[in-house]
Amino acid sequence: MNSTWVTRSAVATVFLAASSQAGVLPDVQKNSAWFTEADKKVQMKSEQKTNKKTKNVILFVGDGMGISTLTAARILDGQNKGLPGEEGYLSFEKFPYSAQVKTYNVDAQTPDSAGTMTAMMSGVKTDAGVIGVDEDVSRGDCSSVAGNELVTAIELAEIRGLSTGVISTARITHATPAATYAKSPERNWEDISDMDIDNHPERAACEDIASQLINFEKNLEARFSGVDVDGLEVVMGGGRRHFLPKDAAYNSADAASSVEGDRTDGRDLTAEWQAQYPDGKYVIDQAGFDAIVADDTDKVFALFNESHMQYEADRGNDIAGEPSLSELTSKAIDVLDNNKHGFMLVVESGRIDHGHHAGSAYNALTDTIEFAKAVQAAVDNTNPEETLILVTADHSHVFTIAGYPKRGNPILGKVVAVGATEPTLANDGMPYTTVGYSNGLGFRDLGTETDADAAYAEPAAVGRQDLSAVNTHSSGFHQEALIPLGSETHAGEDISLHAIGPNSQLVQGVVEQSVIFHIINKSLGLVAK
Amino acid sequence: MKSLKLLSLSVLVVLTACDDSDGLNSAVKESDIPVTVQNTWYQQSAATVETAEVQAKKIDNTRGKAKNVILFVADGMGLSTVTAARILAGQQLGKMGEEHQLSFDKMPFSGFSKTYNVDAQTPDSAGTMTALMSGVKTDVGVIGVAEGVSRGDCTTVAGNELVTALELAELAGKSTGIISTARITHATPAATYAKSADRNWEDISDMNIDNNPERAACEDIASQLVNFEANLEARFSGVDVNGIEVVMGGGRRHFLPKDAAYNSADAASGVEGDRTDGRDLTAEWQASYPNGDYIIDQAGFDAINAKNTERVFALFNESHMQYEADRANDIAGEPSLSEMTEKALAVLDNNDDGFFLMVESGRIDHGHHAGSAHGALTDAIAFAEAVQTAMDNTNPEETLIIVTADHSHVFTIAGYPKRGNPILGKVVGIGQTEPSLAADGMPYTTVGYTNGLGFRDLGTETDADAGYGVPAANGRQDLANVDTQSPGFHQEALIPLGSETHAGEDVGVYAQGPGAHLVTGTNEQNLIFHVMDYAADLVASAEKAMQ
Repeated sequence: MNSTWVTRSAVATVFLAASSQAGVLPDVQKNSAWFTEADKKVQMKSEQKTNKKTKNVILFVGDGMGISTLTAARILDGQNKGLPGEEGYLSFEKFPYSAQVKTYNVDAQTPDSAGTMTAMMSGVKTDAGVIGVDEDVSRGDCSSVAGNELVTAIELAEIRGLSTGVISTARITHATPAATYAKSPERNWEDISDMDIDNHPERAACEDIASQLINFEKNLEARFSGVDVDGLEVVMGGGRRHFLPKDAAYNSADAASSVEGDRTDGRDLTAEWQAQYPDGKYVIDQAGFDAIVADDTDKVFALFNESHMQYEADRGNDIAGEPSLSELTSKAIDVLDNNKHGFMLVVESGRIDHGHHAGSAYNALTDTIEFAKAVQAAVDNTNPEETLILVTADHSHVFTIAGYPKRGNPILGKVVAVGATEPTLANDGMPYTTVGYSNGLGFRDLGTETDADAAYAEPAAVGRQDLSAVNTHSSGFHQEALIPLGSETHAGEDISLHAIGPNSQLVQGVVEQSVIFHIINKSLGLVAK
Repeated sequence: MKSLKLLSLSVLVVLTACDDSDGLNSAVKESDIPVTVQNTWYQQSAATVETAEVQAKKIDNTRGKAKNVILFVADGMGLSTVTAARILAGQQLGKMGEEHQLSFDKMPFSGFSKTYNVDAQTPDSAGTMTALMSGVKTDVGVIGVAEGVSRGDCTTVAGNELVTALELAELAGKSTGIISTARITHATPAATYAKSADRNWEDISDMNIDNNPERAACEDIASQLVNFEANLEARFSGVDVNGIEVVMGGGRRHFLPKDAAYNSADAASGVEGDRTDGRDLTAEWQASYPNGDYIIDQAGFDAINAKNTERVFALFNESHMQYEADRANDIAGEPSLSEMTEKALAVLDNNDDGFFLMVESGRIDHGHHAGSAHGALTDAIAFAEAVQTAMDNTNPEETLIIVTADHSHVFTIAGYPKRGNPILGKVVGIGQTEPSLAADGMPYTTVGYTNGLGFRDLGTETDADAGYGVPAANGRQDLANVDTQSPGFHQEALIPLGSETHAGEDVGVYAQGPGAHLVTGTNEQNLIFHVMDYAADLVASAEKAMQ
């Protein structure tokens, strides 16, 4: 909550005190904190003003962060602070404006991150699995790309002369971050070895996603003749393997595999990047990150992990150490705001989605809490008069909060009913957890394991388990699931969009996901009539 | 959503550097990026933002601008239910479905409500509706009283009674109405007019006064409905109100003596009434309001001429009204929620001072509890139609309409079905024609539940409650030869429970009319009372009228 709000809230209190003298409401009602707090909030909302002039835009995407994830993360965050939990707000839930967002892809009822992020970044819904191209593309068909390329908000901001940045805790070549800068008929073409060009020679005409990231500046200049841009200022995430040759000689000090790189074309894209941007800082670990002095840093390219960055709960186990999403966000803003004309930054929390896919509420929720901290870091490090902050998800997961736990019951615990101290038993005589999944790998008890992906080591074990003696709060507990699948799936219901700052009042109602681009466009004037 | 691609696009038009007054480079022109801007998605989404800008400019922060307030409550309609109902409604119209808009999807503003009760992480309808109607969160299971009450303890009620938006509207001289497809004494409608330490005290026979003699000091919920006017006047001395103009729903059993002699033509049981005090509350109501119309069926409903009808008391069913999908099976016939809404508005708008109307769709919740997505979604569609009826029959300049749910259910829409795949069908992947198979080699449905009664295949049965006839059957089933789109199909569930449960995540709020913009953001559920109060100035108007 920024200072403007607090001031208005104080004014509202005075107003309220003066206006609630008369007598229809009993004291038990009008003096209830529930009543006075809500009345104050309505008054504050009625006085909310927003600027129209936007200098900066930050788009936060919590991958797979549906409404049930928000509620559960909010409760866990409060409980981690010793509170009952339900009464709290994640940072962005305090934002003044919100909308509900329809996530489907053109060809998919329940979407994937490639199609959804393309919609957010280009204003155009497209098919599942494709990056930065419209629905006329055929997934996996390189020859169908030409003429279907879309322009993204990051590209338009770059052309406009704003500083630009992309952050993700996933591989920086993964679907969500890729959709900010790349065009690909297949999200899985993260590097050239993923393209199987030997068997599909026509794919040689397409550039892998990692290569597109490195060549962003020149590709953009080639597409728009006469344009002179300076490239992405901030790129931070995981996915080093897609930038290095498949040769142990190129292994970094942070390598997890014996041969870190995947590239079969012998290119070292990190060296190519450094050659293009001699003053830029290429970093791979916490020490390199800490050494960046933002005020005199022009460009940062950070690849903190061979594959995805660690889950937040597992970050302490990273080989060479890596920063949190909130640290990444603060540093990125410090670099980007060196441009007096403003910036556009996209921040993805990629591993909320991965935690859910692995059936680990613990990892999904702890990453959501860190995501909310990153949003708070952005609020704290920007001026709300000039920075539009949008927070959303790309899609949901089949993750539910079942009844009827009492208030303050541990969100990762078993259901204990109002007035009870022992878990409620189901008809099979066994307790059950509050949170659970409709499908996926199902139950596993991995104790203190903090890497949700350890769950993939064993086949799906679905259906009911006797959890009587199981500590369901432990980081290694994976919830039960009904339908056995190798990976828990996305869900199709609407997700949320939260906004603060100039033009945040345009965030309204129930909208198609592609509307998000247009709110950014309207705010920054990216496309001229 | 195809667009003509007139230009081949590898290289685009020259852009000049740095011209703008703000020192920025020139923006790309629309004509430079035709593939993007000529796309229909692009154009429709751009238009949405233009509309949003107009709506933002029209926001009027004048307190008391709303003459009328309609609160629509869809019991148990979480976000997943809204999305699935939208898709089903679209598919019933021959569309793919996902792109469809339910009536309230078209409203300009939306927000999220945190639904927990003071003592419950996942709430019930009594506590949540009390929050919506009084601006104060309270405990699970109690009606119109603050958290200082002990559930089931009659002696704790005194001093904890809350005043509701309906009562404030009544005091302010507005017309008032309540509609529910549940029993009109059920938690949600009860929280508009009653104060009770237990939601289950729907009539005196539910109170077990023989074993709890102190409860004799509390009035059952049905009796409070019939005595609403007298009770309100007793609480506020010197006040003269005229009572609720429109009451329509189910629950006749709570108003009639337990005596077959009082059975109506629409009776389902051998003895329809439940009351053990011999009172016939329908007769008492008629005695209080000789000009009022008491009706029990479609014929009686159709005979109401709204223009010269002052008051309607309609009890269409012994217990809850039928599921919408099962409505044709009602004994004496009953209207849809949309028909009731239209009739209620026609009666209520006879008052120049405006009206307050609460409309509940009570059986979305019941469909889910029974594990029947078909029952829940068809009622959600009927609910959306009722909202459309209200949108069509009111003036948005003077009527605030808020649409929300009290809580959600553990109902999910699983992946990865292709676009337009039947929402009640099995998951069929993109580019596929046969269902995706799970790791157990069996297909699975798109929608499902985390807990509840689980699978049943009741064929063409349209009453979801028939699902309670057999014990919970959980876990996986081979659905290869099961028609999952039939009304009688109940989805699989993981945890076996006698009834599928509520869910604890935030629900949606949708609004149009004066004050509608105040619902935006993530808020405690009790904020909605305050939005209604701001919009219609209910507290101040009531106080003014009382002076």
